[in-house]
Amino acid sequence: MQRIAIDERDDWKSQAEALGFNFHTMYGEPYWDETACYRFTLRQIEDDIEDPTGDIEKMCFQVVDRAVESEEIMAKLAIPEFFRDYVRASWLNKEKNFYGRLDLSYNGQGPAKLLEYNADTPTALYESAAFQWLWLEQAMEREIIPAGCDQFNSIHERMVEAFGQFGIAGRLHLASCKGSDEDEGTVRYVEECAVQAGLDTAFLYIEDIGISEDGHFTDTDDMGIATLFKLYPWEWMMTDEFGQSIPDSGVTFIEPAWKAVLSNKGLLPLLWEMFEGHPNLLPAYFADDPRAADLEGGAVRKPLFSREGANIEMTRPGAAPLSVDGPYGEEGHIVQALHPLPVFEGNHTVIGSWLVASQPCGLCIREDDSPITKDSSRFLPHVIYD
Amino acid sequence: MKRSRSLKLALMSASVLTVAACDKPEEVAIFENLEQCINEAGFEREVCEAHLNTAKQEHVRVSPKYTSAADCEADFGAAQCEVAPQQTSSGGSVFMPLMMGYMMGNMLAGNSRVATQPLYRSKDNPGNFRTADNQKVAGKTGISKVPSSVTKAPTTKTRTTRRNGFGATAARNAGRVRSFGG
Repeated sequence: MQRIAIDERDDWKSQAEALGFNFHTMYGEPYWDETACYRFTLRQIEDDIEDPTGDIEKMCFQVVDRAVESEEIMAKLAIPEFFRDYVRASWLNKEKNFYGRLDLSYNGQGPAKLLEYNADTPTALYESAAFQWLWLEQAMEREIIPAGCDQFNSIHERMVEAFGQFGIAGRLHLASCKGSDEDEGTVRYVEECAVQAGLDTAFLYIEDIGISEDGHFTDTDDMGIATLFKLYPWEWMMTDEFGQSIPDSGVTFIEPAWKAVLSNKGLLPLLWEMFEGHPNLLPAYFADDPRAADLEGGAVRKPLFSREGANIEMTRPGAAPLSVDGPYGEEGHIVQALHPLPVFEGNHTVIGSWLVASQPCGLCIREDDSPITKDSSRFLPHVIYD
Repeated sequence: MKRSRSLKLALMSASVLTVAACDKPEEVAIFENLEQCINEAGFEREVCEAHLNTAKQEHVRVSPKYTSAADCEADFGAAQCEVAPQQTSSGGSVFMPLMMGYMMGNMLAGNSRVATQPLYRSKDNPGNFRTADNQKVAGKTGISKVPSSVTKAPTTKTRTTRRNGFGATAARNAGRVRSFGG
């Protein structure tokens, strides 16, 4: 695993804009960054990322198996009592899951360590699946990188395939929140994949979803919603006014409700409890567990529902503590042993490992100037080149 | 190879939302009544009856519903509506347009993925049959080709009583985060 400085394609911005990738620059700072790329060997990808990702997914399923049968665990995960039967039923009915992204700390050697699982509303999807792929093809064509490079990235193909196998009857509705170009771009891309799988689709904003007298969710044309892909976290769906209507709505959700167990930082102590010592896991405890205070070598305190680095607090041996402000945390916290991200040329690098229909199928790299990856991090492409 | 093979075409089609290009048309059979199905198209009586019955059942389920006859007639024309068996939760009548025909797969062309369903004619475009989802089908009876999206079972048109019940939690966090994912 190396970070290699390279030339940018001179026309990448105009290409990004033509393709609808409008969030390549954020707050005036680059988000898509192709002034460098990361190089992996095939062995690193297959043995250290792909296989462990599949193993972690299997362990996660064992956690869900256990969590849905335990009121105590569901309570620790802050899943409201009203929704526990619904979450349990979604798992027992084997409602299909579509995608997810594990965040891993890995420096090219030794086992990758799971930092968290974005199992419900992972973003960075379009840039991982499509724009990174396009970069690889063009960078080889333009001799920016050697011919014969490959990339761990069949995300797009896997998504089209997964939609084909979902058995969706009728129209697939897809929704994101108003006011986020990034989320809407991601959902529009997922919609394109569904269309390529032959599905009939319609996009709407989550705020515009309606409800009928008999408790069915409706779209802006008053048509009933049968299947809904939502880039909107389950814990918020459950809190919102229409949440109470979800269990009787008859809607099939993507992701299914049982993903609320996995997208929760409470997953991390549950994994450690069941698979303590697994090479890809870090010690982790719920914050009220006395063992949380005994973690040596630094620790990271995370709210159960945090995203994009918000409300994370890091204590480090021999260095000042770090924290990121944000709106989360009322729901409780976990504490995870510190496993600092590797630093390449001053950049703190996190690996996102994608799963589609539970199959590991791709990788994305984000860099941040600080040890906590935030929404101001940059996305860099990668290659496999032995 | 660890990467997608098939992505180029999709990306190069540029606009994320162009859909129609790869839509393969389906062959369907459209009739106003049983006689057309048997005599004009030469289908077996039993086949025609079975599909007509399915369409009639679907008609009750999927037809556009209105709480006043006037609203229904505004969309479908004078004397073109009937009382639906459903009632509103307060016991009021529900109205729906008359079923003007039905659509089934072309059984002579082998396997068909067409969902048999009722067809309607709207006041503003009486020359064409339309599905309950208000998708234009064809103007004449007999065998026609339609986009495959039209052949799927229609979803139910219903009455939305409220909106804006989702998104409040996001709104509380708006401005502090760039994405509501992570």
